[in-house]
Formats: sequence, C-alpha cells, structure tokens
Amino acid sequence: MAAFAAYTIIGLSLGGIFSLAALGIVLIYRTTGVLNFAHGAMGMFSTFIAWQVFYGWSHPFWPGWLSTFLAVLAALIFAAGMGLFLEFAVFRWVRSREPVVKAVITIGVLLALQSAASLIWKNNQYHLPIYLAPQQWVWVVPVADVPIGANSIAIIVVALALAFGLGAFLRYTSFGRAMRAVSDSPTSASLWGVPVGKVGAVSWMLGSLVAALAAILITPFINFDTTSLTLLIIDALAAALIGGLVSLPLTVLGGFILGLLETYPTIWIQSIGFPRLVALVVILAVLIVRNPRGFSVAAK
Amino acid sequence: MTSRLMFRVLGALVAFALLARIPVGFDVGFKFDAALAVIWAFGLLSLVLLTGYVGQISLCQATFAGVGAYTAGMMVSSADVDYLVAVIAGVVVAFALGVIVGLPALRLRGITLAIVTLGIALVFDRYIFQDHAFEWFTGGTGGWRVGQATMFGLRMDSSTHLMAAYLVLLALFCLVALLLVNLHESGAGRRFRAIRDSELAAATMGVNLTRYKLLAFGMSAAIAGMGGSFYPLVAGSVSPQPFWLFTSLQFAAIAVLMGVRYVPAAALGGAFMAFVPDVLTRYGHGTFMGHAYEISYDWFQIAVGVLLIVQLIALPDGVWGDLRSRVRHARSAAGAVGGRRVKVA
Repeated sequence: MAAFAAYTIIGLSLGGIFSLAALGIVLIYRTTGVLNFAHGAMGMFSTFIAWQVFYGWSHPFWPGWLSTFLAVLAALIFAAGMGLFLEFAVFRWVRSREPVVKAVITIGVLLALQSAASLIWKNNQYHLPIYLAPQQWVWVVPVADVPIGANSIAIIVVALALAFGLGAFLRYTSFGRAMRAVSDSPTSASLWGVPVGKVGAVSWMLGSLVAALAAILITPFINFDTTSLTLLIIDALAAALIGGLVSLPLTVLGGFILGLLETYPTIWIQSIGFPRLVALVVILAVLIVRNPRGFSVAAK
Repeated sequence: MTSRLMFRVLGALVAFALLARIPVGFDVGFKFDAALAVIWAFGLLSLVLLTGYVGQISLCQATFAGVGAYTAGMMVSSADVDYLVAVIAGVVVAFALGVIVGLPALRLRGITLAIVTLGIALVFDRYIFQDHAFEWFTGGTGGWRVGQATMFGLRMDSSTHLMAAYLVLLALFCLVALLLVNLHESGAGRRFRAIRDSELAAATMGVNLTRYKLLAFGMSAAIAGMGGSFYPLVAGSVSPQPFWLFTSLQFAAIAVLMGVRYVPAAALGGAFMAFVPDVLTRYGHGTFMGHAYEISYDWFQIAVGVLLIVQLIALPDGVWGDLRSRVRHARSAAGAVGGRRVKVA
C-alpha cells in the first residue's frame, strides 16, 4: 500500500510535467497551426542552459537558492528568446503552408537543436539534475507513511498553477481573447484587427517558456541527457492528444492520467522502454476512438 | 518493350556499372561507407514510395530497416542459413510489420499519422531493440555477430568480401529503383497517386483504400527492411544504435530535403547520409589560423536540420526536384524538348 502510494506520488509528479509540456504544444498548435515535434528539444536546450549556469558558472559561495534562481531565470530568458527567434526566422515564412509541412520543419528544428546540444554538452555523459527545492525537504504523510519530496509538490503546484494561469490568461485578458480568436480562424481574426503575427510570436514565446519549465522540472526523475529530454515529446503529444489538441483542462487531466499509467506498471516491470509503449497505446487509443477528423477542425 | 522502358533499363544498367566501380580503389572504410550508402538509400527509397507516391507520412522507416536487420542477423547467427534466406526472411518480417503499422493509417492521415509512427519508432528504439524481454530477437546487449556468411554459395562478410556484398546490394537497389520508377505510371501507381491527391476522390473512383494503403505500407517497409537486412552482413553485427529514432527522423528529413517524389533523390540522399559524416570525422580536424578545431558527427545532423528548414521554405520540391525543373526549364528555353516551335510566316 505504501509502495502504491509512493508510486502515485511519482506518477502525479511525472503527470504534472507531461501536462506542462503538453500545454505548450497545445498553445502553439492552436494559435499557429504548427504541431511542434521540437518541443522536447527546445525544453532540453533551455534546461542545459540552466544546468550550465547552475553547475558551471555559479560561484560555490553563493547560497543554493541564488544559483537555482539564476539558473532558472537564465533558462527562461533563453527559452523566450529561442521561441521568438523560431517564430521570426522560420515559422513566419511558412504560415500559409499545410500543417504537415510545418510539422516536418519542426523535425528539422529538433535535429539541429539535439545535435547542437550534444555537441556542446556531450551526449553520453551523466548530468546532475537540477532541483528547484532542496532534496532534503521531504514530508512524510502520517497515515500512509509515504514520503513526499518538496520537488514533487513543486512540480504538481507549478503544473496546476500554470494550467489555470494560462486558462485565465486566455479567457479574461484581451490578448488572450485575441489568441483564441486567431485559433478559431486567423483570417477572420485579422479582419477584425487582431494582430495575428504578434499573437503567433507570443504563443511561441509562451510555449517555449513552458517547455523549458517542464524540462527543468523533469530532470530529477530521469537520467537526463540530450536525447531523453528530446524524447519527452511523445508523452507530451500523448497528453495533448487526450485534450484533442484544443482543450487546456483536458490536456492537464490527460497529462496526469498518462503519468499514473506510465508509473504503475513499473511496480512490476523494470524496463526503461515500457512507459513508451504505454504512451503509444494511449495515443493509438485516443486517435482510434475519437474521430480523427475532429482534429482537422483545429488544424489551419 | 517500349522505348521508354528500354531507356530506363539502360539507365539503371549504366548507373550500376558506374557506381559498382567507384569504391574499388578506396580503403575499407570507404567501401563500408559505400555499402552503408546503399542501405540508407533503401530506407529513403521506401519513403519515396510511401510519402512521394502515396502521400502517407512515416517517421519509423529506420524501425523497419532495424527489424529487417535483426531478423537477418538472428537467422544467420542462430540457424546458420544462406544469407539469401536471411534477406528474404528480413523482407517478409518487415513487410508484415509494415502492414501492421498501416492499420492505424487507415483511419489517420497527416500529422496524426506522424505522431503514431514517431511513437512506434520510439517503442522499438527504447523497448523492443533494448529490453531484456526481447533478447531472443535482438541477441542481447552484444547483438548478433555475423562473422562468416555465404550468399549464392559465395563468401561474403564485412572484413574481406565487402565488395561482393556491395555489388549485390547495388544490383538489388538498381532493380528496386527501376521497379519503383515503372510503378509510377502503372495501374497500382495511379491508384497510389490518387490516394495521395485525395483519399475521398480515390475511394469514389473505386480504389480500395484499405488494400492499397496497407499494400503501400507493407511494400515500403519491405524496401526499408531489404536494405536493413544487409546491415549485419556489411557491418558484421547488429546493434540498436543505427536504427534508433533519430535515424528515422534523419530518413524523413533527408528524403524531404533531396526530393521525396523522385527515385534518384533516394540514391543521392543515401550517399549524403553515409559519406558526409565519415568525411567530416576523418578530415574535419586540424588547425585553422592557429586554432585547433574538430568537426564531429553532430555537425552533420545540425546541417541536416538547418538545410531541411531552409529547403522547405525556399525549395519545396527538394534538391533533386529543383535541379530537375531547372534543367527542364533550361532545355525547353533552348527549344530542345516540349518547346513548340511556331512558324512565323
């Protein structure tokens, strides 16, 4: 029972990360029509910026929280810049092309980012994870005797807060309304004076930020290197598909469900590859059960 | 035999004769690259059929090649059969897997199909090719070793008889490429292209979508698997690394980059994929103006990614397609083909 509860905590933390990553995918897909296969790679690159600041450049006499803060800040600034750069340098020029072409372009982005990171930070090397909260902060739930790390709580809280924050931003602010208008129909939105280009740039920036946050948060849970973070994309896509690539609340729910589904089998099956099979089965189930034509409504 | 077909057969024979002689004078490393180039060219050719002709997206072509490789490796290592039998087994298993992967494709298209095939490539990369549960298929962590193998009773192996393996591979590639070029205008090819242009219209015209989509996936996987099943022969062993997810992504990227609708682009792409990284790692280090530099394999993948982005923005039809249309344009401007000369009195 205690083991089951402990796995639930791990599953929920993983799920929080998946839903964060998926939120970025859904955001970018809805407003720009780009299904971003490079989402994991973008998060990976920003995470390595954080890693570099945290382990490479911070001074040993600084307090730990300062190093963490600076590392995350640097990663987020970099992520925002990368998102804007990709929008202005690449995706602005292909806005009117079919969704498939845009998706293939993101594969180019993925390959370039992954090998650039592997060039700088070496692919097969062990990298120490980045903890947002100190590892020693662990609470034990009195009834079930389950230890809960502060990191797990931070992940779940950040995921939920960002999901609700994004939802509120889209619903209650005028820029959020502009984004929703663009996601419904870019042509009519531009006729009503919505700055479609600006909306695209902001979505890329926000999506990239969320990807960076998700990738930084996941580092304590996986053996973190350039490929494993890039491959986070499949779990994020699975969660995003549960939300139909449209709905933010369903995406978050999907992320948590996927996290639990991927964690519980590891009680019995010791395999690094098995969770990927779970993700594939979830993707297939969602795509076969729901009418895939429904997705083309959101595709522009 | 029509004159067009004869022209194509002649072209394939000339290509074979030229390409067969190229690696002769070089060291064993380049001979290995040459054989590897043909293996990768098979993978790219499978995308010419699947994406270029039928319009289906797949990000798991290296998985099909890997399944062919592991099947052939298993047959030769454990049953010690003639390599021809191993290749046939590899192609058959890859075909079967292709049909299975084609099943979800009956309901999916475009990006959703890309997501599913990406998932399949990842599951094979991280789970089936690497997990202990599948050691009977993958031969454990060391993989299958193929020391001595015979094909048609001739000795062929990676160490001493690499050229023989290369010639067989090249001959097979020329044959399959010729068949694919001819498929384009055949009845099946027209049905394939009808599916690419509009599935709804194709179904309305009486094309059996289920049969032809599954056939396309099976044939494409068989082509990739044919190349892959030669991998143990050429490299001497099989490991998961050459057939991991990033090879699948590189296949998709390079096929699109070179021109996914054209058969010769596959050969060009295969050579690009095998030779460029090796040349980079061989000669890409030294000093330049007093600074030591080293160009590693990673630069190749960066270049592929960046070139793909630039190509999709600037030359949507790929490198080969762009060259082809330029040549056509120049020739028709010169009045050689198609340019109808109007007599002015």
